[in-house]
This record gives sequence, structure tokens and C-alpha cells, in this order.
Amino acid sequence: MVDISLSQPPFSLLDEKGRQRVRDGVDLAYFNESEIMLDAGQPGEHVFLIHKGEVAELDLNASEGERRIGHYTAGDLFGAISILNGTSRYRFQAEQESLCYLLPRRLFEDICTAYPAFDNYFRQHLAEKARHVLQRRAEGGMSMARFMLARVAECMREPVMVEGHTTIAEAVTHLRERHADSLLVNHAGRCGMVTKTDLLDALVQQGLPQTSEVGAIAHFTLITSYADDYLFTALVSMTRHEVARVVVMEGTQVVGVVELTDVLGYFSSRAHVVSLQIEQAEDIDTLARASADLPQLIQALMAQGVKLRFAMELMAALNGRIIHKAFRFLMPETQREQSCLLVMGSEGRGEQILKTDQDNALILADGSDWPGIEEAMGTLTDTLGRLGYPPCPGNIMVSNPQWVASESAWRGKIARWASSRDPDALMNLAIMLDAHAIAGNASLLEGLREHLFARGSHDELLLSYFARGVLRYSTPLTLFGTLKRPEHGIDIKKGGLFPIVHGVRTLALERRIAATSTFARLEALVEDGRLDRPFADDLGEAMALFSELRLRQQLENLEGSDTSQESNRVVVQRLSGFERDLLREALHTVKEFKQRLSQRFHLEY
Amino acid sequence: MIKALRRAGDRRRQLGGHHAWRFAPYGGSEVIALDCETTDLDPRRAELVALAAVKVRDGRVLTSESLDLRLQRPESLSGDSIRIHGLRGVDLLGGEALGDALERLLDFIGNRPLVGWCIAYDVAVINRHLRPRTGFDLPNRTLDVCKLYARERRRVQPDIEPDMRFEVMSEALGVPVIGRHTALGDAVTTALMYLRLCHGRALSA
Repeated sequence: MVDISLSQPPFSLLDEKGRQRVRDGVDLAYFNESEIMLDAGQPGEHVFLIHKGEVAELDLNASEGERRIGHYTAGDLFGAISILNGTSRYRFQAEQESLCYLLPRRLFEDICTAYPAFDNYFRQHLAEKARHVLQRRAEGGMSMARFMLARVAECMREPVMVEGHTTIAEAVTHLRERHADSLLVNHAGRCGMVTKTDLLDALVQQGLPQTSEVGAIAHFTLITSYADDYLFTALVSMTRHEVARVVVMEGTQVVGVVELTDVLGYFSSRAHVVSLQIEQAEDIDTLARASADLPQLIQALMAQGVKLRFAMELMAALNGRIIHKAFRFLMPETQREQSCLLVMGSEGRGEQILKTDQDNALILADGSDWPGIEEAMGTLTDTLGRLGYPPCPGNIMVSNPQWVASESAWRGKIARWASSRDPDALMNLAIMLDAHAIAGNASLLEGLREHLFARGSHDELLLSYFARGVLRYSTPLTLFGTLKRPEHGIDIKKGGLFPIVHGVRTLALERRIAATSTFARLEALVEDGRLDRPFADDLGEAMALFSELRLRQQLENLEGSDTSQESNRVVVQRLSGFERDLLREALHTVKEFKQRLSQRFHLEY
Repeated sequence: MIKALRRAGDRRRQLGGHHAWRFAPYGGSEVIALDCETTDLDPRRAELVALAAVKVRDGRVLTSESLDLRLQRPESLSGDSIRIHGLRGVDLLGGEALGDALERLLDFIGNRPLVGWCIAYDVAVINRHLRPRTGFDLPNRTLDVCKLYARERRRVQPDIEPDMRFEVMSEALGVPVIGRHTALGDAVTTALMYLRLCHGRALSA
């Protein structure tokens, strides 16, 4: 006589006969509050299926605060892993009076043998973590393999050729212009090389004048390799010959140079290479090529286990450099000096990981004159589109004249937004608060931000309206504090990221904190005394977790394995138990943050 | 008093027979939760329709070791009782003969104590059918969850006459009602109530 629904996994993996065996074989047990149901080190004799009540899983070796590693409620199942392992690793303790069905070990094992799918379900659970670790390692290994198989051509620079009669002074200019470390010298029909060190030696040690020819100081014994050699063979020959660069030949023709720093950069993370490519780009096309490498870079970084926060900072820096360069290519210098290009939204906060929509605006200095500005801005938007930043669906871009204005016009806009307090105005204010100067004259933005703080930080009414946004989306937790589990997944952006980002932004407005990244703001708020350190740390960790879950989804989408999934949705059922617990804790932190904000800004009504 | 005398008489008569061990005092830790479905509420007229018993050991209800018997349709099966237990004449086709069923019940319970909700009624009905066949009444010790519950209730709320309806009791004890008015369901629920009363924390007021 068993009153359990066996239609959920793992029992749904059995046929009716198997389910009947379970029904006939289970016992009922009643446990008092805080009674130990299965202690650590005890052999597992039963699989527990909770009919009523709550059970906690405790790790006795962990420190006091971190003991609770799992939580089970009605319908959940535990103890199977203890049977498979022989003994239980953790202590299971009833948190409330609990009524459990006990599936005896013998029957469990029999059913496992009879139904392989049922068996796999548990093995999977057990193996999940192990598989995760292995997968991680394999991913790391795969990208490592990719580097090992890289060819010289992938890491090669254009050679900078000069004639033998070039003077040292001219050579130095060449080096500067091309961001290079060495020059190839064509002297009397032979090919030689001059490095920065050679030039230094010639000038300082040998005391040669700047007008002497480089042909005289060049080395003509060159270490060469071929473009389709493996990169590591180039590395090996550099090590063997104690040089820092190899000349790449194709037939008898010199086609490039491989520098030691490039190779090391390539092997380490490629971050260096991408940034070098960006720095060296001299036209939009090269820039676009470098920009296309960014997703690969982030994947490699994640595979190597780089902390997401630092990866985000790196991406923000690289994206910033790309946009900065694009702006410089397109705009004449005089205009650059009297304007300031802003990036806003997640880009402004430095929190986008893959490329996001372009949210940008332009501030013009008062009294500046820029004829044909609309056209120029239209080109900028198009160019950024070419560089891989899709246009903003909300049209918050410089191609929209609304987001291009003089300093005083911006002040007027801010004043209007702050006094009208309608949803659009509040959104615009939020966007403006996250603005980050990326090119041009950054002091223009500072002035504007100062104005925004002066207008907003004491306006309780505005702050209250502004903070209200935090409550717009509900936290995906049930009444009892467990995760909601809709089949299409929970929206991690609305339920988790947005409240944290917006709440912290509100506090930053109140406390006049100029930093734009959420992590930096949290740090500043702790310094300021507005938040206590442990809570700010929790918020930061929660934020990192949400971002990581979201990134994983985005990377999956990028690989095209599962395009049906929306990138902000996380399907709780697919997470491992450990991640589920983390997610639940993080969402509780969000909930508490919301409550604190409600109290501070009087959002209860 | 009369019961005790009867039991002593039964015991003497069975002394040399193969039922003698049933009269020995029980030394183990198991009890049997018992429930019957019958055709009438008067034990002098009621006929058995279904019988169920489940073992309770070490704070566990061993639903895997339970007895659940349907009997052959008795003469007196009428609409009134069918409304309650839901076993129609057709449902009882192929049921056990009363004698076989009682035999199996005796073997299952052995000399373990019996637990039930108003167990006196069930035992009375069984005895009425058992005595003509074997010549003795059920010798087992009986425990009535009603009485245990009433005692506990009176301790907590001395002024209030406890409400001892089955559903009310299970609700107060926080025990889910499993399959009400099926013999096995009621037996399991009774077993849970018993566990709760013996091992659970004191009732809250």
C-alpha cells in the first residue's frame, strides 16, 4: 500500500511491473525532528523517498557555516549514492518530522540490474561531478591541443623590410610606427636582421652615430622556419639557438617573423595575441579580424578556469580598445578632442562577456562645431556593426540624434528625466549612470556625471522611483524557499542579475559612486559603509554565478548545439545538485537584497 | 475479567495442541497493525469482507511485509456497507474462504501484539468467526491507538473531551491518511499513528 506517485524520474524509467515491485517492496518510516536518518560512514541500507517532511544533508567535515550541502523535500530521493558507494559520505538529518518510504538495498540493486536505464540514472548522478571534472580537463586539453597543432603562419607577423643603407634613426622610427621589435635588412643581396637590442648596443656600447647604416650592424645568420611548420618547432629552434625571433620563409622568399613573446602569448591564452592584433591594426579590416577572435579567446579562458570576473574585465578592456580604435580611424583629431564617446548598459559596466548590442552615445563640448556629424555617426554605427557589435534594438546608438548632444543639452535631458520619473526616463537615467567614456575627451563625461549625482543623490522621491525597478521581476523561489522549476527554465537575467545590478546602481547613485562596474561599485559601497562586507561579498558571488550560468548557455548557443534555448534561461533540472544549491543560495541573497532596498527606499506600497 | 478467564480456559485446552505457542507471551519488538472491513457496525452481526495486517518493527512500517485479504462474499453484504468500503459483490469474486483467510491471518500475526483503531471491534468480529473453527479467541495482547491517543490528549488538554474520529486523529498526529476505508490503507495509517504516539514528540496543544 504505497501512496506515492512513481511517475517522476527515476521511477518513470521503470515499466508497470517494475513500479509494482517498488510499491510492494517499500516500507514506511517515521523520523522525528533532528533525528539522524543516515549518518556519515554508515552503510547505506535503504533508498529514502520522502513522502512528507524535510531532510538536510550535512557535511560533517566542513566548517560550521558550510555544513548544509543539500536539502530534500517531499518527492525527493536520497541514499542511493550511499548504496552504490557502500557507505554514506554525509549525514542525513530530518529537519522536520518526516515520513519516508524506504526502498531496501536488495530490492534497489535487483531493480538496478533489471532496468539499466534506472541504474544509469543513479550512476549518472554519482558520475556527474567526476564527468564534469573530466570534461573540464578535456576542454582544457582540447584547447591545449589546438595550440600544439597551431602552425607558424597563425602567429606570424608581417616582416618590416628596410634597405641596408637606412640610418639607425630611420630604423627606430620604423620600429615605432609598426609596433615591431625587429627589422629585416636587405643588404647587398643578402637578408639580415636588426633588433632593438642591436640598435641599443650600436648606439650605446659601440658609440655609433645615429646616421650610421643598419646594414653594418645587422646579423646575417638567420634562424628560419616555414609557414606551415608547427608553431612549437619554431619555439624549439628559438630555445636551441637562444634567439627571440625566427624568420619565416616560403621558398626563398621571406614572408614573416615569429617573435618569442607572440609564441608564448599564443601558448598561454592568446589574450596577448588578440590585444597585440588590436594594437597593431591600422585599418578597420584588421580590427574586424581581431575582433572576431574574441569569442574563441573567452572560451579558451573559461576552459582554463579563469575567474569570470577577470575574464569580464579583460573583455571589457579589449572591446574598449576596439571601439576606441574604430573611433580614431573614423573621426578627425580636432573633433575627437571636443567630444566624448560613451558606451552604456552592460558594456559601460564592463559586464558583457560575449559581444552585446552597441549602446553608445556622444557628448559634444559646448560651443564645438562639427558639420556633417549625423553622417559621421551613421558611419560609426555601421562600422561597429562590421566589427561584430549588432545594432541596439532600442536604438540607443550614436546614429540616433537623440543620443548625440552638447554638454548643456545633456544636462537639460538629465534634469527632464529626473523630474518626469516616467519609466522611459528612469531607464534613460539608468543607462546614463552606467556610461563609461571610451574615446575622446573623458572629462566631458565626468562633468556630466557630477551633474547627475548633484541632481539625483538627494532626491528621495527620484531614488524611490528609481529603486522600484528592483521589484519588477519576482525572484524564482517558491514560498518554501526552494527553486521554482518550470520546464522552460528560470530567467536568470530578470530573476537574478537585474535586481543586483539595478539595486547596486541605485545605491551608487545615492552614494555618488562614479565606478560603473557592479563589482567596483560594491567595493566602493563597502568602503563607504553603506553595505557590510559579508553581504557585499555574497552579492558579488551571486552575480558571478548568474553570469557564469548565463555565459555557459550563451557559449552553448554559439556552438549551435542547442539554439532553441533562450540564453537567459537556465533549466534547473539540468543543473547538478551542487549547482542547484548554489543557485538557490544566490537567489536567497537576491531576495534579501530586495528586502533591504524595499526598506531603505520605502517600496512596500 | 471474563476475557482473562476465557483466555486462561482457551490456553489450558490448547496446551497440548499445535496452537499452544500462540498463548506464550511475546518477547520480540514487532507489533501488527490490523484492520477489517465488515458488513455491519454491530460486532454481533458483522461479516468480514476484507482483512489486512502490517508489521511494525524498529519504528518502521514494513509495508513490504503485509497481509491483504479479500474474502468471499458474505450473505449480509448490503448497499450500506458497500458505500463505505467500496467492495461490491463482484469485487469479492475469487476472494478467500473465511476459514483459509483466518488461518493465514493467524500465521501472519503469530503471538505478536495487535494494534488497531478501536481494535476491540475488529478482534470481536474475528473472534466470533474464529471460535467455532478453532475453539479459541485471539489470544494476542491488543493495543488501541484510540486509547493511547486519548491518554495523550488528556495529558495535554485535560478539559477537552478528545475527538477520536479516525480522520481527526490522523490530522492531529500529522499522519497522512493512506487509502481510507481500504483494509490495508487503514492498517498502515493506524501503524503510523501508533509510531507517532510511541516514538514521536509530545503532542502540541
